[in-house]
Amino acid sequence: MKESPSFDHRPDPELGAALRAALDPKTDQAAFVSRVMARYDEALERSTVPTFEILAGWFRPGIVAAAAALVAGLLVGRAVFAPSPGVETIDAAMAPAEGTGLAALVTAQDPPDASVVLTSLVEQ
Amino acid sequence: MASSEEDKGLVEKTLAGERDAFGVLVQRYAPQARRVARAVLGDPDDADDAAQDGFLSALVKLGQYDSRRPFGPWLMRIVANAATDRRRRSKVRRAEPLNPSLVGGGPRPDAAAVQSELGDRLNAALAELPPRRRTAVVLFDVEGYSHAEIAGILGIPEGTVRSEVFHARRRLRTLLADWKENIR
Repeated sequence: MKESPSFDHRPDPELGAALRAALDPKTDQAAFVSRVMARYDEALERSTVPTFEILAGWFRPGIVAAAAALVAGLLVGRAVFAPSPGVETIDAAMAPAEGTGLAALVTAQDPPDASVVLTSLVEQ
Repeated sequence: MASSEEDKGLVEKTLAGERDAFGVLVQRYAPQARRVARAVLGDPDDADDAAQDGFLSALVKLGQYDSRRPFGPWLMRIVANAATDRRRRSKVRRAEPLNPSLVGGGPRPDAAAVQSELGDRLNAALAELPPRRRTAVVLFDVEGYSHAEIAGILGIPEGTVRSEVFHARRRLRTLLADWKENIR
C-alpha cells in the first residue's frame, strides 16, 4: 500500500481492488437486471400521468384554500377599516370645532400668530 | 468505464422507446450502482432496493439528461440520492460493532478465508465512516471518478471531496496495513 501525500489525485489500485471485492454484490447480476426491468413499464406509466389529472387533484384543495383566504381577508379588513365609534361620518370629523382659537385661525386674512395656533391645538 | 458514445446511443434508443436499450444500460451500470448504493447504505439488500429505485428514477428522468456530459456521473448521482433518501427514510441501522475476532488477536485465518476476512474487515471499517466519506472513497478508488465528478454526484464542493477521500483512505489504509501485518 503506498503512502501518499494529503491529497492524492490518482486512485489507489490496491485499496480500490480490496474495496471492490468487499462491496461487490454476492447475488447474481442478471437477477438484479431482471428485477429492474420487471418494473420498466410501471415506472414509465407512473411518469406519464397526464398533467391535467395532477392539476385536477390540486383543484379542489386550491378552491377551498382560496375561499378560506378570501373569508379571512374580509374579516381582517372589516376589523381594521371599520370606523371608530367616536367619529360617525367624515362630515362630522371635518366640522369646525367649537372655540375662539380655531375660529380665529380659519377666518383670519393674515397668516396666523403662533399663539393662536397653539391655543387652537390646546383646545382640541 | 463504459464508452460515453455508446451510452448516448443507448439513451437515445431508450428515449425512442427501445426497452432493450435500457436493459443494456442497466446491465452495464448495475455493478457500479449496487456498489455505490452499498457504500451509502451498508446493507446489501437495502442497497439493491436503492439501486433499483435509482435506475427507475433515471428512466423517468432520462429526458432531462444532457447528452454532452458523461452518463455515468449523472446516473450515479441519481443512485446516490436514491440511497440517501432510503437511508433517511428508514434511519438505517447504526454501524454494527466489529466482530472481536476481526479486530485482531483472533485465530490466524487459513488461506481460503483470507479474502473473505478482508472483505468483512473493510465493510466493518466502511460502516464506521460517515456515509458521505465512504461514498466518496468508493467513487474515487473503486469507480475511478474524478474529484470534480464526485463533487457533482454528491452535490458538495470539490475541496470537500478531496478531504473526505483523504480521511477515508487514511482509515482504510491503516486497517489494511494491520491486516497484512496479522496474516504474515
